[in-house]
Amino acid sequence: MTTCDEIEADKRSEQPSLIRLVLFFAMQGVAVIPVGFAALFLSFAPVWSAERPPANYLKLGDARSGSLLIRNEEGYADASRLGIDVDLTVSGPTVRARVTQIFRNPTQDWVEAVYVYPLPSGGAVDTLKMVIGDRVVVGDIKERQQAKIVYEQAKQNGQKAALTEQERPNIFTNSVANIGPGETVLVQIEYQEPIQQSGNEFSLRVPMVVAPRYNPAPVVQSVDFRPDGGGWGAVKSDPVPDRDRISPEVLDPASNAPVNPTRITVRLQAGFPLGEVKSFHHAIKTEKPDANTSILRLAEGPVPADRDFELTWKPAAEKAPSVGLFRERVGDSDYLLAFVTPPAVEQTRQKPLPREVIFVIDNSGSMGGVSIIQAKASLIYALGRLQPNDRFNVIRFDHSMDVLFPSAVPADREHIGRATSYVGALQANGGTEMVPAMRAALSDSVGDANYIRQVVFLTDGAIGNEQQLFETINALRGRSRIFMVGIGSAPNTHLMTRAAELGRGTFTHIGSVEQVEERMRGLFAKLENPAVTNLTAKFSDAAADITPVAIPDVYRDEPLVLAAKLDQLAGSVEIKGRIGDRPWVVTLPLANAAEGKGLSKLWARRKIADAEVARTTRQATPEDADKTILALALEHQLVTRLTSLVAVDKTPSRPQGEPLKVSELPINLPAGWDFEKVFGERPRVPATPAERRADTEEAQVQVAALKRAQPVATQAPNTVTLPRTATDAELKMIAGVILLTVSLILLVFNRRQMSLR
Amino acid sequence: MTAQQPMPRVFLPLLLALIGLILFGQGTYIYAKALLAQVLLEHAFEKAIATGGETKPWSWADTWPVARIEVKRLHAHAIVLAGSSGQALAFGPGHVERTPNAGERGVAVYSAHRDTHFAFLKNVVVGDEIEVTRSDGKHFRYRVDAASVVRFDASGIDPLADGYQLVLSTCWPFDALTQGPERYLVHATMIGFVPDLH
Repeated sequence: MTTCDEIEADKRSEQPSLIRLVLFFAMQGVAVIPVGFAALFLSFAPVWSAERPPANYLKLGDARSGSLLIRNEEGYADASRLGIDVDLTVSGPTVRARVTQIFRNPTQDWVEAVYVYPLPSGGAVDTLKMVIGDRVVVGDIKERQQAKIVYEQAKQNGQKAALTEQERPNIFTNSVANIGPGETVLVQIEYQEPIQQSGNEFSLRVPMVVAPRYNPAPVVQSVDFRPDGGGWGAVKSDPVPDRDRISPEVLDPASNAPVNPTRITVRLQAGFPLGEVKSFHHAIKTEKPDANTSILRLAEGPVPADRDFELTWKPAAEKAPSVGLFRERVGDSDYLLAFVTPPAVEQTRQKPLPREVIFVIDNSGSMGGVSIIQAKASLIYALGRLQPNDRFNVIRFDHSMDVLFPSAVPADREHIGRATSYVGALQANGGTEMVPAMRAALSDSVGDANYIRQVVFLTDGAIGNEQQLFETINALRGRSRIFMVGIGSAPNTHLMTRAAELGRGTFTHIGSVEQVEERMRGLFAKLENPAVTNLTAKFSDAAADITPVAIPDVYRDEPLVLAAKLDQLAGSVEIKGRIGDRPWVVTLPLANAAEGKGLSKLWARRKIADAEVARTTRQATPEDADKTILALALEHQLVTRLTSLVAVDKTPSRPQGEPLKVSELPINLPAGWDFEKVFGERPRVPATPAERRADTEEAQVQVAALKRAQPVATQAPNTVTLPRTATDAELKMIAGVILLTVSLILLVFNRRQMSLR
Repeated sequence: MTAQQPMPRVFLPLLLALIGLILFGQGTYIYAKALLAQVLLEHAFEKAIATGGETKPWSWADTWPVARIEVKRLHAHAIVLAGSSGQALAFGPGHVERTPNAGERGVAVYSAHRDTHFAFLKNVVVGDEIEVTRSDGKHFRYRVDAASVVRFDASGIDPLADGYQLVLSTCWPFDALTQGPERYLVHATMIGFVPDLH
């Protein structure tokens, strides 16, 4: 019976059994999928893995230059930067720059933004404007402490407020309080800067990135002194623990990649017919709306802010004007800016004195990549230029230091050969202890007066203890003259210019390997030809406050730059000096001066730099120097070490909780803002990052290629064999679960069969 | 007959279930071992820092903790063991032989399983900070600057290369079930470097 039954049952289920089989496999498949997922999940779920959505909280020290850090209760979250626009107007001797940044607060919270950015070291920052949401905030100059108090007060009251502080003459910080969720912040900084001139070449430079700085050990300890980022209350007295932010940790250029798209527009009104106009590190395209103006833009749209923008232009005429005289009347005073290039007097018949040249090369880690290649090429070029009767020595430093020869040696073939191969073998590594190297370079033990002593210092200046270096130079310079050679795409120009000024030498910048020869040739023209010394300036009628007070020596092809505040624009100014052993005089009638812009600010900025130098050199007490700086800064509305711009929104802030409109850029542009011109043909915002990413990726690849080329090519046999690093845990678990599922299904299947029976 | 009929039908599923359980157990054991070992290793490591010696995490261990690595952003951390033998890797990331210690000139290589201790590597992005504390208490910070996929026998890593670098290595691809020849490398360079001047 049972058999019959069974047969019957089998017969009955002949057709359905096929379906059952299919069903079975389908069920198994369905069962395996969740099980597989579960197994996957198990493997990713352990405590050390990050299953939480990444919060992206940063410490302040992680800030890349120009990053906007949004502060909230749990730390700092990175806010997306949408764009930077740099608008430069060159009018004759000066450049007026307007840097606009647009940020969005992507979070759901009201936030305070802290923002770090670089500016040229000679720039006089006088304007801060900010649009937060639909609100324009214009900054006033105040003493730094006072400004901070005003800002803190406003922050507590829930008012929108902005604060601009100077951390170094070329590094600034903005704090913006009470930005609502989804709101957009527009930050606009304006500064005035004199144009640089060398020979018949004029130039300007816009820094885009604060190079990571090396802080020697004693300074680093203060980094630990960081207020706990925990609550608003605790950090109020110090909203910006600034060392951390000024000196982001030393970064590999490759990791510095995702930087902000930048547009640059230059309105060039040189005041003379233009010859060659050249941008060294960015491709540009030129428009000529009228005869006197050229408008330059980046040829390929926005670029990542990862290198300085450098523009040079030459007059169409064979020779550049050797004299420029500009005036501006502000209040009761006239301000004068004079450029005078002394003639290139041929060497007198006397043979020039031989030279003792000490080359110092920075081979610290920050010089890695292209910088060290530039530095080595420059130094090797320089070694080749030495004359047989010169003497020289080479010092290299990172956190340690080596002096090649015990003392300076004659520049004969053998010594040059040794030095060249020594330099060729240098590798970039380690920290940047610049002070001991400078000390060694300045130690002039022989003191042979038959030699002119020159120190050529090649570095990127990526250190945080600039002041220590300045003090060393001031104390030890003796008769040596220091020629700074700035290497890389974003050197610390503040360090370079100030060190060269204190060392009575010059600053040469080399931003790419292609520039090495041309720039080094220029430097050697300065080294080999007598400087113009004993310079004085005398006004015939006007009472003048001249800066620089003591006019520095001027080297071949350099102009003497003089700013003065006059009680009246009358008579003339007579400039006297000596070129080699010949006297030189030039008289400029003031009546012929052309109208210039922002000269008072430049004069004040220059006076402030003088006061800072006097403070370093102890010619003025710190108190006196600070008093001078403060008075000048307040009168001329400049951001300095002692003064800040602060802007507080008078109208009551949006009540919390009220929904804010999602900002589209640009929104509600107030009158007086030049966004039409600035952003008129800008592509839609989302397109910008894509474009930029392409650029950065390419750059990254190049850097990576440079870095990798060496080890792979030369050391392939040394490569590490990597161990096996996958367990079969997951496989086993999945197999186990499948088997269990199968058995379960079979059991159920059986039971159903049984019960059916 | 009726009594005998169900036997093979029940037997097969039970056998399958048994094998399944064993396999599942083995898999779980691997994870459990990896987890538990890290707890023991944390203790051993703290002791090592305190006493300054090589402290074995358990009496029969044939390896000892050499460093602790941490990626704060991901809340990920692990104790690194000396050597990269299969046994060591079961318990934690291994410091690959013949590469320098973290903090020394050259390229230090740490290796771990992609599905346990270095599962977090797939979330590591360029710019992340990796903190390494050595068993002698010295602390170093690295910043991730690249990631790459290489064959295990062509890693391109020169342990004596210039600079102060760290490479974290694990199997690639992350979601594969079987072992393969490819390795995923995270390259990091030391930051905030304060050289040892003696």
